[in-house]
Amino acid sequence: MKRKKSNIIDSENEEENSPPKKKAAISASKSSAKPRPLVTKVKSKKAAEDDDYDMESPPDDNEDDDSESAEDEDDFDIKPKSRKALASKSSTKKAPAASTSKSKAGKEETATPSKKSTDDPKGQLKGPAKKFDWAAKKAAQLAGPVAHGSKAVPAGALDALAGLSMVFTGELSSFSREEAIDLAKRFGARVVLQPSSKTDFVVLGDNAGPSKIAAIKKHGIKTLSEDEFLNLIGTRKGLGNGKMDEKTKKKMEKEQEEIKKAAKEMEKRERTDRAAAQSGKAIDPKMQLWTVRYAPQNLKEICGNKSQVEKLQTWLHDWSSSLKSGFKKPGKSGMNVYRAVLITGPPGIGKTTAAHLCAKLEGFTPIELNASDARSKKLVENGMNINNTSLDGFLKGPSELNSMGVAITDKSCLIMDEVDGMSAGDRGGVGALNALIKKSKIPIICIANDRQAQKLKPLMGTTFNLPFQRPQAQSIRSRILSIAFKEKLKIPANVIDQLITGAQSDIRQVVNMLSTWKLSNDTMDFDEGKALAKMNQKYSILSPFEITSKLLGPYVYSATSRETLNDKMDYYFQDHSFVPLFIQENYLKTQPSRLRNLEGPEKVMKELQLMDRAASSISDGDLVDALIHGPEQHWGLMPLHAICSTVTPTSLLYGSGSSYGGPNAMTFPQWLGQNSKQGKLGRQLGDVQIRMRLKVSGDKSEIRQSYIPALFPHIIKPLIDEGASAVDDVIGHMDEYYLSKEDWDTIVELGVDEKRDDAVLKKIPTATKTALTRKYNSTDHPIPFHKAQDLGKAPKKLAGGPAPDLEEAYVDDVIEDASDDDTKKDDTDDVAKDSLIKAPKPKKKAAPAKKREKSG
Amino acid sequence: MSLFVDQESYFRPRTLDTLHYHHGLSERLKALAASGDFPHMLFYGPSGAGKKTRITCVLRQLFGAGVEKLKIDQRVFLSPSKRKLEINIVQSNYHIEITPSEAGSYDRLVIQELLKEIAQTQQVDLSAKQRFKVVIINEADSLSRDAQAALRRTMEKYMSNMRIILCANSTSRLIAPIKSRCLLMRVAAPNEEEMMTVLKYVAKRAGFDLPPEAGEKIVEDSNGNLRKAILILEALKMQTPDLNGPLSIAKPDWEVYCYKVADLLVSEQSPARVMEVRAKLYELLSHCIPPTIILKTVAERVVEKVDEALKADIMHWAAFYEVRMRTGSKKIYHLEAWVVKVMSLYKVLFRLLMQNPFD
Repeated sequence: MKRKKSNIIDSENEEENSPPKKKAAISASKSSAKPRPLVTKVKSKKAAEDDDYDMESPPDDNEDDDSESAEDEDDFDIKPKSRKALASKSSTKKAPAASTSKSKAGKEETATPSKKSTDDPKGQLKGPAKKFDWAAKKAAQLAGPVAHGSKAVPAGALDALAGLSMVFTGELSSFSREEAIDLAKRFGARVVLQPSSKTDFVVLGDNAGPSKIAAIKKHGIKTLSEDEFLNLIGTRKGLGNGKMDEKTKKKMEKEQEEIKKAAKEMEKRERTDRAAAQSGKAIDPKMQLWTVRYAPQNLKEICGNKSQVEKLQTWLHDWSSSLKSGFKKPGKSGMNVYRAVLITGPPGIGKTTAAHLCAKLEGFTPIELNASDARSKKLVENGMNINNTSLDGFLKGPSELNSMGVAITDKSCLIMDEVDGMSAGDRGGVGALNALIKKSKIPIICIANDRQAQKLKPLMGTTFNLPFQRPQAQSIRSRILSIAFKEKLKIPANVIDQLITGAQSDIRQVVNMLSTWKLSNDTMDFDEGKALAKMNQKYSILSPFEITSKLLGPYVYSATSRETLNDKMDYYFQDHSFVPLFIQENYLKTQPSRLRNLEGPEKVMKELQLMDRAASSISDGDLVDALIHGPEQHWGLMPLHAICSTVTPTSLLYGSGSSYGGPNAMTFPQWLGQNSKQGKLGRQLGDVQIRMRLKVSGDKSEIRQSYIPALFPHIIKPLIDEGASAVDDVIGHMDEYYLSKEDWDTIVELGVDEKRDDAVLKKIPTATKTALTRKYNSTDHPIPFHKAQDLGKAPKKLAGGPAPDLEEAYVDDVIEDASDDDTKKDDTDDVAKDSLIKAPKPKKKAAPAKKREKSG
Repeated sequence: MSLFVDQESYFRPRTLDTLHYHHGLSERLKALAASGDFPHMLFYGPSGAGKKTRITCVLRQLFGAGVEKLKIDQRVFLSPSKRKLEINIVQSNYHIEITPSEAGSYDRLVIQELLKEIAQTQQVDLSAKQRFKVVIINEADSLSRDAQAALRRTMEKYMSNMRIILCANSTSRLIAPIKSRCLLMRVAAPNEEEMMTVLKYVAKRAGFDLPPEAGEKIVEDSNGNLRKAILILEALKMQTPDLNGPLSIAKPDWEVYCYKVADLLVSEQSPARVMEVRAKLYELLSHCIPPTIILKTVAERVVEKVDEALKADIMHWAAFYEVRMRTGSKKIYHLEAWVVKVMSLYKVLFRLLMQNPFD
């Protein structure tokens, strides 16, 4: 088997050599680069560690070689330019002069396609020819797949692409999609996913999507090739050179203006606060966290979710009138029939802030309870004296402020924060809260992260649902920029965008990140921003569906993909029990990319061979799985399982085609359903077997394979052919084998093909079926035994009573003797009442069964 | 009315003397039962060869007619994770019959608890012919390794109170220490002649004549499984009462379905076809057809239909994946791997033939 596999690889290589450059490079990289990825990793990591120290000194404009490698290697995501530099570094084994790499980069900038093709075979030759030359090997690996890194990024102005919106489609030859997008953002462009009339450029690669091409034609958008794109970066002058069109310029200026204004506002506010602090009434803002200091003070300052916040405010505004009307008038938004609102949404987007702010603005005193308070049923019921209005105002007068700085009024509002955090300690809390909501006389605002949570089900009917979305980057950007301006941090807008996307629009996190950054630096450039975002990255959990479409999709394994083997294995570890099942279910649904250049029968044959390798790898994976979940539990084998069950099959068969909605849509693994069905039918078959045991010696599988087909003409076919008249006969046969009506159902259910249960049941008229059931139930039948679970409960009930006191038991005995008759009477009464003896039939059945046992 | 197989008056032998074939074996068993030094035994052979029947006969020889008063009990065991396991027990006063594989991976628990309990109590019935009880363990070849290990010492320690009779299809899955503690009894499938005799006997008891052609056909079709042969005989009798003329033996549903799978496999080779086959395999598996049987039936049918050059390869891979199925946990993966393998082999050969048609 091994031999065959290697043969296949060889033949592939031979064939793929014939189409010009691209495929050849793939096979070369696959065969040469894959086996030893560790070496380079360790090396470059080391380099990165060394260079970490250099990070302290700010890199000056990519000029000298030192800072260049430092910034590039810092995150393992090596940029094309430095790859080139490294490649030359290791192959010449000399400290690379900045000039060499630079001149090379310069050359490539103007490189024509012909130049590229001469460049590639060189890299390819390096791999297999000098097999044990480590330096050459490393150089070949660093040169990367396909023409990766064959083009250098020109050193354009930092805002070279500012004000442009771009779309990327198809695969570029020397950058992966992420890298290209990264590049465009680095130079200040806005990257959108779908082309529209507002798009300035579309960068076209190979295999561009047809819908995008149609959109390009429709809107007449300018398209760029990869080289033209790089050229644009190198030659276009950004804002600084004044060649911007007026509109964008004005817009930018206006934005700048607004930011300054907002910052000034903050400054002013802070000053008054500080003055208050000095008089001892409030806390000095300098002592506060940024998240508190720059928390929104009015509704305008809340980023995103405008309409939701407005709704909340109007609801609070209308509260007193809706209370008066007994929550009968729905109002404009239909909210006024609810006594409570449930705000849901991801963390850090201002849910709590919005709730507090709205309450404050509408003159309510917010009472907040969050996960740090115990909120059990009892406490919610008794502890919240919320039906009373507050006495604070009565005692202190209307102008007083409470500790939170909120004017105390006689109106209060309950904010239940983190409702989905009401957990084991808060038993019954949600139920009590729900009961509270139903009769509340003050508005209640509940806040939670996950609306779908099982715990929140009771609240669904009683609260108005107000989902908060993650705000768009644009809506946060200006706010963050003004904070940065106020704090004298110099951060360009595209870096802010990067931070925001990195934090998944979590405003709180962005502000926290900035406040940490401010401790050591005053500026942040693109790469620093990227590193910071990555450091604070929240790991998004992908669903198995997403993982499967990712792994089987065309990008993860494409030649320009930058994901390492470890990254691919990480997909498996996201959900190690489900992902293999999903892969097995869907691995045959793609149009494999490896066969793109093949046609006709050749393609069919190759496809089957790929499938064969994938299927046998999945089979290997199952053997590993058996070891992992077997008696010895070799959990250490999980990486191997990841490779066998997930990575290998997908690496062979990745490609387009398996998407939602299509003919080959991805599906949930059948295995789970089929396995439980198998278990269920297996148990039922076991029941049939043990009932037949008194007559038949065969085991379960014998029953299924020989007896059920043999019994079919006796107990099922007559019903189809003769109808109700055959019922007596059928029941006679069933009794012969101690089969019950349920067993009859099982036997029908176990049929396949023409004897599938639905096909068979369709043929039996309903009247016959009911006749069978009625007749069977009305007569007595021999049953071989009672199931243990049917009988097991009665003694438990007796034993479960209070433990008898032995001394008293003696006295009781005497009394019982006297009233013997009475107790007997009670007993008979009990039998009638007893739920266990409610159904008299089993008893009747049991009697003849015993007789039969004796006789047989 | 029961089927022929299950009626004493038609076929089912109850004593060693009335067994229809393997008379030498019957004699030896009789001698063993009489000797008073009855060993642990392991009966093995293909299904439908008469293992259980023979064991029942031995029991009767040992204890008399009392062993035929069977009763069925259900015992509930608690697994370490507090799951309830229900085990069916068939017993008479003198013997007890269990199928530990019902408990799945907890079969060791059943062996330990139940066997010890039985082994530690002596025979209460003073009038019993033997001082020991007999424990019959069905499907012994699907006992897990742990369970077999649990059996080892018990077999020696409680020899005075208990004898064990294991019943298995093959000895290959039993560990050597178990085999060495048992007297191995191979119950081979009856040969054609013996089956013919039995069929004729059954026909005579049922009051009709069996034409020789019909008999041969049944023997051929039942493949050494006597139970199957008699069931077919009865089905045929129902179908065509005179048993003359051209007979077509109705195959059981699952076999027909397996053939359909094989035909699908040979007629087209593509990913879509694999998915189709997968759906059918799932259906067979979920309807309690053992994966080994599926693989065997499908492979035999495929081999009939393909070119000579492929036959050996297909069988080789079938064997290869059969082993994997036994060691692995998700049977469908291996079945599917075999299906894809066959398709791939078929396509490659086809392509070779197309390229050089005159080789």
